[in-house]
Amino acid sequence: MSWTEKYRPKTFKEMAGNKKAIEEIKEWIKAWKEEGPQPPLLLIGPPGTGKTTLAHIIGSHFSDKLELNASDKRSYDALINIIGETSTTKSLFNNNLKLIILDEVDGIHGNEDRGGVRAVKKIIKESKHPIVLTANDPYSKKLQTIKPSCRVINIRKAHPNSIVAYLKKICKEEGIEADPKILRELAKRSHGDLRSAINDLEAIARGEKKIGAELLEAGEKDTFPSLFDAIRAILKSKNIRHIKEAMQIDEDPQLLLEFTAENIPREYEKPHEIKKAYDHISRADIFFGRATQTRDYIYWRYASDHIGVGVALSKDETYRKFTRYAGPGSFQLLGRTRAKRQLIEDLAEKISKKLHISKRVAISTFPYLQIILEDEKTAQETKRYLELTSEEFKILRGKRKPRKSKKTKTEKVEKEDPPKQKEKQTTLLQFK
Amino acid sequence: MIKLEGPWIEKYRPKTLEEIVGQEHIIPRLKRYVEQKSMPNLMFTGPAGVGKTTAALALAKEILGENWRQNFLELNASDARGIDTVRTNIKNFCRLKPIGAPFRIIFLDEVDNMTKDAQHALRREMEMYTKTAAFILSCNYSSRIIEPLQSRCAIFRFLPLKGHQIKERLEHIAKNEKLEYETTALDIIAYFAEGDLRKAINILQAAASLQEKISEDTIYEVISRARPKDVRRMIKTAIEGQFMDARNILREIMILQGVSGEDMIDQIYQEISRLAMEGSLEPETYIKFIDSIGEYDFRIREGANPRIQLEALLTTFLKE
Repeated sequence: MSWTEKYRPKTFKEMAGNKKAIEEIKEWIKAWKEEGPQPPLLLIGPPGTGKTTLAHIIGSHFSDKLELNASDKRSYDALINIIGETSTTKSLFNNNLKLIILDEVDGIHGNEDRGGVRAVKKIIKESKHPIVLTANDPYSKKLQTIKPSCRVINIRKAHPNSIVAYLKKICKEEGIEADPKILRELAKRSHGDLRSAINDLEAIARGEKKIGAELLEAGEKDTFPSLFDAIRAILKSKNIRHIKEAMQIDEDPQLLLEFTAENIPREYEKPHEIKKAYDHISRADIFFGRATQTRDYIYWRYASDHIGVGVALSKDETYRKFTRYAGPGSFQLLGRTRAKRQLIEDLAEKISKKLHISKRVAISTFPYLQIILEDEKTAQETKRYLELTSEEFKILRGKRKPRKSKKTKTEKVEKEDPPKQKEKQTTLLQFK
Repeated sequence: MIKLEGPWIEKYRPKTLEEIVGQEHIIPRLKRYVEQKSMPNLMFTGPAGVGKTTAALALAKEILGENWRQNFLELNASDARGIDTVRTNIKNFCRLKPIGAPFRIIFLDEVDNMTKDAQHALRREMEMYTKTAAFILSCNYSSRIIEPLQSRCAIFRFLPLKGHQIKERLEHIAKNEKLEYETTALDIIAYFAEGDLRKAINILQAAASLQEKISEDTIYEVISRARPKDVRRMIKTAIEGQFMDARNILREIMILQGVSGEDMIDQIYQEISRLAMEGSLEPETYIKFIDSIGEYDFRIREGANPRIQLEALLTTFLKE
């Protein structure tokens, strides 16, 4: 049995962190038992924060539980067949409540799970049994229709200290003497994902009596294990065969490009190496462009060699050092800013319709609009003309405070400054 | 009820072909279509802000008459929801007979952003509805349009507007809005607009919003404030050899501010020029950088991911 299973908390008390959320959950259970049906619980939080574990602990407070997760095929029929009956029929005895767990509802796929969201909504509406749903992404479109009928509970990442404490407990149980430094490092690398921290610990500590800091390299946290192996080969090796073999992975090549590019400056230190490596990345991207343009994916193989062998050969020699590789920073940025970007996107779309311009052009006019809107009268008129919501208006106007009256009425003293003017003109010419 | 007035770029969009600024080699030919009450499929190609959309709208109004709205469909080919949405829209629109007009017009913007596959699909669409609808395709670069599409259209190449043409239009607007201004201020707008009238009008309105009397300094203030923030800091960071930091700035500008790859290249080019003119860059370094910018401008057009290309461009600024 894997350690994540073996040491999965069985009670609320064993959970690391999220005390407030747990209190809310306990109240919900109590209310179900004493007052009758309650709206379903929707647990939202990043991977490895214990949502599924919580759901199972909740299940232990009811007479039975029934679980479906994202890996199940959950078409409309399947969902209704498995859950539909259970949820609507209830025995006469009130204490016979079965908890229905719908894991990762934001993972319901558009096409394959035709009608999946509809089925979930139907079950929520008709169920006479308690329901717990879990999801990773609070902004998922699929959640938007489900959210209003649920009690939403946010599950947060565990603090590194609680992760360290948890890992310590496991080491004690397993009879392993662990260097505190290594546990702290594992906790840090996990970014609040307790499950991955336990997995990492298991990878380096299983069957050991003692683990020291020198083992750190073995159990690197990675969301894409094979991807990181490929990147390590590319950045550390110069052996074509070794690199090409490590790149035989089942990942989107453009994702591999992003991961490789991200880690080039983490591994390579000399500017000319970074330049050369990034030039191969750029060339690879051009082949991706050609593939998309022509729909001829034969070009991918050239891209692949640029990313692999090209980047590998860009280093003078292999660095003898331990590098912590990372996922693409741009992805993290995209995830973090999703809500804000969506607002900008919607705003651009609205403006593009009103002004007969494309979204791209709309975005490029934002800086001018921002200045134009500093005049209060123009601002109000433009707001109505573009039919902007207050929120959209705020984004467009930015942080700068508007001026009350149109333009400054105070006479500006004309500053005649011919030499300066002349200078500017000549600068402009040079500019050209 | 008082009619709401939109931003000047819309308020002063010419309503008729006659009013359009410049493009003298194109407008008379479009007028001929109006006289004949028929037109072939058209392709308008040329840079931003030179009148492609305006010409399409004006032509539609004049050729379709008072019912032009019901018979005119404006779509953006690079719509995020994909080519299928675009095709469905076209299909639904073309299925119906023209109402009170000789035919219907579909205006499809940014066709050069469509994949070759999508362009081939569009070609079939165009053939299917030749009897009931005419297409006006619009793009910045005709070289990115597949040959069969080009050969099905009469091609009109819109040119960047000349400085004096932009200035005349700005004077017209200024008069209408009763603006006070220094004549040289309009010269500077025309210079910075680089043939793009939309940009020129945006600068003018922004300037009008800032000052009672528009001076050269007002224009410089607008230009410097409208510039995406942090581009200079990004370049300097790269030159100092801090690649990871420079890369982070780039990502923030592109992802948070939503600035496109093409706009980014423009800004980098202009900022490098400014640095050189201020004497912060050696002439030799300057020309080397300009060459890289040009190379990566080209690569962005060929490649799949503009951000990756720009990250690569930043590495060429690194001090060795």
